[in-house]
Amino acid sequence: MDEFQEILQDFLVESFELIEQLDQDLVELENRPDDLELLNGIFRVAHTVKGASSFLNFDVLTHLTHHMEDVLNKARHGELRITPDVMDVVLESIDLMKALLHTIRDTSSDGGIEVGACVVRLDKISGGDGDIVSPVVQAAVVEEELEELIEEMIEETSTEPDYENMEEDEIEAEIERLLAQRQNEDKAKRAAKIAAGESVPEAPPAPTEEAEAKPTPKLAPKPVPVTPTPKAVLHHDDDNDARAAAPAKKAPTTVEQTIRVDVKRLDHLMNLIGELVLAKNRLIKINDDVEERYEGEEFLEELNQVVSIVSLVTTDLQIAVMKTRMLPVGKVFNKFPRMIRDLTRELNKKIELEISGEDTELDKSIVEEIGDPLVHIIRNSCDHGIEMPSVRLAAGKDETGIIGLKAYNEGNQIVIQIDDDGKGLDPVMLKNKSLEKGLITEKEADAMSDKEAFALIFKPGFSTAASVTNVSGRGVGMDVVKTNIEKLNGIIDIESQVGVGTSMKLKIPLTLAIIQALLVGVQEEYYAIPLASVLETVRISKDEIYTVEGRSVMRLREDVLSLVHIGDIFEVERILDSSEHAYVVVLGLGAQKLGLIVDTLVGQEEIVIKSLGEYLKGIDGIAGATIRGDGGVTLIVDVVALMEMAKGIKSTVASSSNETAQIAKEKSKASDYKVMMVDDSKTDRTIMRKSLEPLGITLIEAVDGQEALNILKQGDHNFDAMLIDIEMPRMDGYTLATEIKKYNRYKNLPLIAVTSRSGKSDRMRGVESGMIEYITKPYSSDYLSSVVQRNINFKSEFLS
Amino acid sequence: MSDKLKEIINQQAERQNVVLSQLDDIVQLVGFVIGDEEYAVPILSIQEIIKPFPWTRVPQVPKYVLGVFNLRGAVIPLIDLRTKFGIGAKKHTDETRFIVMRNGDDVAGFVIDRLTMAIRIKKDKIGPAPDTVNGDETLIDGVGKQEDGIITILKVDKLLERDF
Repeated sequence: MDEFQEILQDFLVESFELIEQLDQDLVELENRPDDLELLNGIFRVAHTVKGASSFLNFDVLTHLTHHMEDVLNKARHGELRITPDVMDVVLESIDLMKALLHTIRDTSSDGGIEVGACVVRLDKISGGDGDIVSPVVQAAVVEEELEELIEEMIEETSTEPDYENMEEDEIEAEIERLLAQRQNEDKAKRAAKIAAGESVPEAPPAPTEEAEAKPTPKLAPKPVPVTPTPKAVLHHDDDNDARAAAPAKKAPTTVEQTIRVDVKRLDHLMNLIGELVLAKNRLIKINDDVEERYEGEEFLEELNQVVSIVSLVTTDLQIAVMKTRMLPVGKVFNKFPRMIRDLTRELNKKIELEISGEDTELDKSIVEEIGDPLVHIIRNSCDHGIEMPSVRLAAGKDETGIIGLKAYNEGNQIVIQIDDDGKGLDPVMLKNKSLEKGLITEKEADAMSDKEAFALIFKPGFSTAASVTNVSGRGVGMDVVKTNIEKLNGIIDIESQVGVGTSMKLKIPLTLAIIQALLVGVQEEYYAIPLASVLETVRISKDEIYTVEGRSVMRLREDVLSLVHIGDIFEVERILDSSEHAYVVVLGLGAQKLGLIVDTLVGQEEIVIKSLGEYLKGIDGIAGATIRGDGGVTLIVDVVALMEMAKGIKSTVASSSNETAQIAKEKSKASDYKVMMVDDSKTDRTIMRKSLEPLGITLIEAVDGQEALNILKQGDHNFDAMLIDIEMPRMDGYTLATEIKKYNRYKNLPLIAVTSRSGKSDRMRGVESGMIEYITKPYSSDYLSSVVQRNINFKSEFLS
Repeated sequence: MSDKLKEIINQQAERQNVVLSQLDDIVQLVGFVIGDEEYAVPILSIQEIIKPFPWTRVPQVPKYVLGVFNLRGAVIPLIDLRTKFGIGAKKHTDETRFIVMRNGDDVAGFVIDRLTMAIRIKKDKIGPAPDTVNGDETLIDGVGKQEDGIITILKVDKLLERDF
């Protein structure tokens, strides 16, 4: 980046920051036109921008800011009263200034925007002749300390073409005034310093200033050359700004210690933390496994300690990094006073905005996304919510409507609440309008609760405005609000009462990347549901599920909750037998509720959201994926989409098709019988084979439980019985039997334990896990053969 | 002595030139079998080749998209080329492999029946795809002629493109 670019970047960053504060100050100013501090602050912004832009040769911007400065200057010397009309022009010029800065940011030049008209209006306000500042000839008179003046003059010489038209005495007067002003400020500052207990040397003004400028060493004043180089101008500009800002900001010593960091670096850091959280989850899982296997070992305690420290630090680290990305929501709120002001004038209403909780912090990416939805909501409140003053008076309300905008923390969420005391939402009217526009059917309208009716305003194409105004009524906007908020995983909650007002709550998660989720299981699959949308979980038995109009419902305390099976939504094949009981996860999204039936609840876990990538994006009902502790991928449920999908799904819950597909195939020859032998010992398998081969049945071998289970899952063979050794690596016989019995189709598969364990408790365990016969090693061939024959109903005619 | 040395050096240089000029006309491919046919993709589009491991099913996708799997922290789609090419699915064997292909930011794993080998083939031995399958929609980039038969070269960008 060359030097110019670098300076330009600094200039833009600084200017945008200044302007952000400006809007709020200006509206404030309208209420308190005599507040000198405010005026000075505003003046300084115009001034700083002018100074820097002239140096960077942005003539249009300089021209505009110069005239703004004139008006503001008059105002702060009490020569001009700030009336709403004056304010309109000033605000207009600020808007132009913003537009120019945006143009500069995008194109590095300030062309293409017409400022002439605005400048003329500004001039008119400031007294027709406009320009007030001193010509260059006066430079000799000016003292060293008047850097501000000098700088102004330099700017005048370089950018302002018509200073020569100015009148002598006017210039004189201006200099006098600025001098007096400066001295007053100095005096005030000195007084403040003395009051603060600092010894201020009774020296000539210049050194005093030097002392005052100390907190930021780089800004230490330099001797001012009469014809400074451009670089020097910039420095003085900074210099000036810092000092000028000092009195407004009270004690100059409390400079906030900050570093500007590229957001990309923070994002990268955030990604790394995400990986770390995944690794941590994995570590915890491994720790659990190890604990189980080496119970009582000494090193376990040490391992435990390390794991808990790592997990603690990771959590703290995650919070700390999250905090670096946090911005106060006030950054967004700042622009609303101005917006409300413009709207009140445009709509001829009287509206006051009350902001609170602007210090509440939110992730930067969310702060950026939240602005537009808020604009729409507040515009809507102004246009549709707050009534005309006369109507309000007639209704016995205060003439001035109040819109409240507040932000606060609620658990793991940030709530932004927008209240108005306007006419409120009328559910009946909303339903009628929607019917008129064909957005809903009569049947739907009848079944709608008030809350659901309020949610109609978020439907695309919906508008209650009788006529389309500049402000709203085109029927776009509120649906954009909804999509934007949902994009942030947030929800909108509306409460309203006719004649009293409306309250809208936007609930948004603190951060986007890492969320708390409830893990649920269906058959052999797992899904993660964002915990923010989970209201509660309940365990029900199958007969608590009723069917109404082809939909499953259940009674949850006072309410009737519609149900949908997660397996129906995600097309899960029902292989495993579903037990008598089911779990219902009650999902809540704004006013909507839905019961999601799942087979198992696994637990709560912190998950890192990963996208499914370009190839699989936009799958209905899936918001993304996460990597679990065991390295597997688990899909994250998109609750919003899921609720939509649930509407189109007919119930299969009640009639869970329990047809045991166990079609006993007719056996026509001995080799139609299939028996699996599961044993880790080659010798044992050979002995079994030797015993059973004479029967002529088909024998399949597996070396451990895992392999046996895989063979079963593939479903290539239809087994008539299984011979299972108990002690095997990877998966033992008991576990295998338990797993097999989970499958519907293997419910009746005879499992025969073949083992050297002969204790009573071993037998008991065998029975518990679903084994029906227990053969202890060693056994005779005939015995094994007869047991197998009995269990597979071997037809004797096949015996050769 | 020095003459001889020069001669050798010259010879080496010549040989190198020949190799270099040949390199320009040679395409390096990795061959694999799906069903009864042999296919190939450019070696540079392959990120890695791995043995099969568990994946997670994704709902509401065509049958040939098996799901997603975890490749060192990245979630990557898994596509079964047998199903995609209209040959019935088959149980995975010891020879089954996942080929992870990349084109820019697009990454996906593809299930193939078995790998054959890395192939060097001269550009002039590669003919265009048969007319009947021509058009923008085809997955076939060209057909490579070898001594012992032909090999179908696939377009990686088309393979990685979502078509549902």
